[in-house]
Amino acid sequence: MQIPARREMRSELPDVQPVSTAPAQQAIGSSISIRNVVKKYGAFVAADRISLEIEPGEFITLLGPSGSGKTTLLNLLAGFQNIESGEIFVDGKSIQHVPTHRRGFGMVFQSYALFPNMTVAQNVGFPLRMARIDRITADRYVAETLEMMRLSDHAQKLPSQMSGGQQQRVAIARAIVMRPKVVLMDEPLSALDRRLRESIQIELRELHQTIGSTILFVTHDQSEALTMSDRIAVMDAGHIVQVARPIEIYRRPQSRFVASFVGESNLIDAEVIDRKGTVLTLRTPSGHVFEAASRDGDHDKRATVLVRPERIRIHDAATPLSMPATVISALFLGEVLRIEVRLDDGQTLLIRCSDTSEMTLPQVGQQLHIGWGATDGWVLS
Amino acid sequence: MTDATLNDLPSPTRTSLAQRLKNPALLLVPAVVFLVLIYVFPLIDLFRVSMSGPTWSVYFERVFSVPLYWESLLRTMQIAFTVACLCVVLGYPTALLIHRTRGLTQILIATAVILPYFIAILIRTYAWMVLLGRNGPINKLLQTLGLIDGPIGLLFNRGSVLLGMTAVLLPLMVLTIYASVSRLDQGLTRAAMASGAGPLAVFWRVLLPLTLPGIGAGFLLVFVAGIGYFITPTLLGGPGDQMFAMHITQQADSITGEGFLQALAVVLLVITLIVVGVAGRIMGFEFIWGGGKTDTAAARRMPTPKTVTRGRRRGVGMVVADLLGWPILRIMGRLPAGWGRWTVRVMGGCVVATLVIPIIVVMIISFSKASYLTFPPPDWSMRWYEKFFSDSNWMSAFWNSLAIACLSAVIAVSLGATAAMGIVRSDIRYKSALMLLLVSPMIVPPVVLGLSLYSLFLNVGLTGTYLGLAAAHAIGGIPIVVVIVAASLQAVDRRLEQGAAVHGASPLTVFRTVTLPAIAPGLGAAIFFAFLHSFDELVLSLFLSSPRMKTLPLMLWADVNYQLNPVLAVVSTLEVLLVVGGIILARPVLARGRSA
Repeated sequence: MQIPARREMRSELPDVQPVSTAPAQQAIGSSISIRNVVKKYGAFVAADRISLEIEPGEFITLLGPSGSGKTTLLNLLAGFQNIESGEIFVDGKSIQHVPTHRRGFGMVFQSYALFPNMTVAQNVGFPLRMARIDRITADRYVAETLEMMRLSDHAQKLPSQMSGGQQQRVAIARAIVMRPKVVLMDEPLSALDRRLRESIQIELRELHQTIGSTILFVTHDQSEALTMSDRIAVMDAGHIVQVARPIEIYRRPQSRFVASFVGESNLIDAEVIDRKGTVLTLRTPSGHVFEAASRDGDHDKRATVLVRPERIRIHDAATPLSMPATVISALFLGEVLRIEVRLDDGQTLLIRCSDTSEMTLPQVGQQLHIGWGATDGWVLS
Repeated sequence: MTDATLNDLPSPTRTSLAQRLKNPALLLVPAVVFLVLIYVFPLIDLFRVSMSGPTWSVYFERVFSVPLYWESLLRTMQIAFTVACLCVVLGYPTALLIHRTRGLTQILIATAVILPYFIAILIRTYAWMVLLGRNGPINKLLQTLGLIDGPIGLLFNRGSVLLGMTAVLLPLMVLTIYASVSRLDQGLTRAAMASGAGPLAVFWRVLLPLTLPGIGAGFLLVFVAGIGYFITPTLLGGPGDQMFAMHITQQADSITGEGFLQALAVVLLVITLIVVGVAGRIMGFEFIWGGGKTDTAAARRMPTPKTVTRGRRRGVGMVVADLLGWPILRIMGRLPAGWGRWTVRVMGGCVVATLVIPIIVVMIISFSKASYLTFPPPDWSMRWYEKFFSDSNWMSAFWNSLAIACLSAVIAVSLGATAAMGIVRSDIRYKSALMLLLVSPMIVPPVVLGLSLYSLFLNVGLTGTYLGLAAAHAIGGIPIVVVIVAASLQAVDRRLEQGAAVHGASPLTVFRTVTLPAIAPGLGAAIFFAFLHSFDELVLSLFLSSPRMKTLPLMLWADVNYQLNPVLAVVSTLEVLLVVGGIILARPVLARGRSA
């Protein structure tokens, strides 16, 4: 898809060259810099000195439980609410005093927010009409965008005549029809069923490659965040607690909160007894010894270790770094087996192992020997 | 983001001024100024005059020492209380009936309740006079059946007052209860039945407790309206049924009572305010306009002390329900299963018939050939329509009313709609207090309002002018407009507006393309009801018009008091047609309100 950037057309300054005749190129998204932003609702602090640097063209996800401040941050960016203190810069310029309608963003809402009195084509053409783009050009852009979202057959329908998935595609089309440098997405997929969600996730990802906008995506669904994002900013209680690539967030979370919010996790409290470079040797309260990696090897006397369920291995016999465990429950989920075990000090651990032909489902009460390698455990700081 | 939008940013000082001017709270200013000048100040002046005697309390002492007045006060409270009770008992089954029927039946029943609600009280009272008159259909029917020999006097006694007032105020009660019944989650009833509750248990344990606030609101609205009533009791009551408000109008005719007259009005006003105040403390002042809270989401999150006390009260209610109601219901539960359903149908059906039949009888009589009121008419003719349209007095009154109502609707809608915008869209403090000010004219007895405006209008020469009457009627029109427009504004999806703004629509464009189309039906309804309010207004006009300028209700009032002739039926029929036309126009809004 080769469509020139259109955002510039809204400019009223003569020195900005219209780019409609420029060679086909990708629009490049804006950089966004959020600095020490504070927003309160009465006594409730929704955003507590949030800072975040977003690269041009990045797909960044704000991930967090409800009430963590992610939608507030998005609303502040869109200009629906005013910042109490702090500042937001887009391409190095403060947007503090720019009203919403002149920020030139695209936005997709959870409730779609399609105008019920307009057809699909009119909905998608709305931003073009607001920018006073001439009818013929606007019609072309609308047709192109509808084509891109595979909605061409529905152009004359009203939103109420369409399914949820289709409505959401219309909302996305409206958000990108101007090829905005920034697209904000507020939990756009949460109202859709799982299968539809997954297919639109892939579409959105491809769309991002095509239009090159900076996309700010808000979700509380961790698997959605892991699938789609260039980077994830995990939020909790008005703070950003970690910003990193999905693989980093999943494998090397900084805190207990991130570890337990993203993916399934086993958290083991243990005493540190030895250190080799960044690898620590630890001992559980009941005396079993295991190894785990840490960021820099610095450690207190006690540490919490994250072991993802799929990293735990089941041994045929006891080894020096294995520990005995009793099966509490065992479920066959298709591609994986989900086994819950209890250690002799009472802690329960979750194990996921992929289904293989020689694997048999363990019985409840059966004794297993479990363990993991030094790179499978991660010491939380 | 383009360079253009960033470079022409206004300087900080200009921004602050511009932003201050953009504050939606400013939209409240015109309506508040208008109400303070023409509504709050006159009421304050009323208090001042009432205390202007040798000592401040001398007039009040007279009110409470002359048996004529305080007995009438007691009687007024008693009548209002009885009427409110009757309205609850009769209104609840009717509200349930509307809720339980479907399709065409529901539309018909709802129309039968809503239609009388919008027809002038004077006309509905007149209909009852026709119905209960010596030559009225009821006397005729009883005679035909041979139950009585000659016509009996059904009018001018306590019974006819109670009947008339209940019939006039019932729609208010039904609509208030229906609002709370229809808000109930249908799933709750099903859940109760699935847990083994029979129809009676569902009613007692689920339906009644959850709709109790609606019942309370309806009861209070009817009670407060009843206290200040005087049209219906004047026309239907005998000498023993003098209501308090009637003394004020009678004293007003003789100017001697300056000071004492105001004291009577102040007593009536204070009692009303106390009742409303106590009710507002218990269940929130929202009951006046039957709406949700106007506070912002932040306030809703925190549990207020009010909800805590409400929890305790419910505990007491539960105990009462367990000890008294439940055993009774157990006994009633032995009755056949369909009994409850039929109670609702029969009672609701009777109420609907009572509301509709008088109006139909009046419409039929308007085509009568006889020169006196008799039913069924001996012969048919259009002579009374001809008389109405050829009589210059009636026609000039009609044009006066039309002009005043149009002017009043313009005032009420322009002030009320902007105020509603301000209420819904601003974040100012004391929002609830302002809303209360805007809707409070609804609960002030019209007699008190009329008296308070009387001297003001005399002083500034507004008496008997179009503008004066239109402005006075707009005091009552503004609450109607504010409530309707605020409700439709609250129903507008903020996300739609944000969606338009983020994709480049300026605030004005957002309003034009998203907000205005969404509230247009509500705005249309508001215009119609503000018009109708002024068109039907009698009490304020009694105080504020001059002999040279009569409105249609004033002409009706004079004629009802002196000669009951079928011209009145003609006017009534025309009014019914006007209201029916208006309701058909307003149906989209009403239908939406029902589904919401």
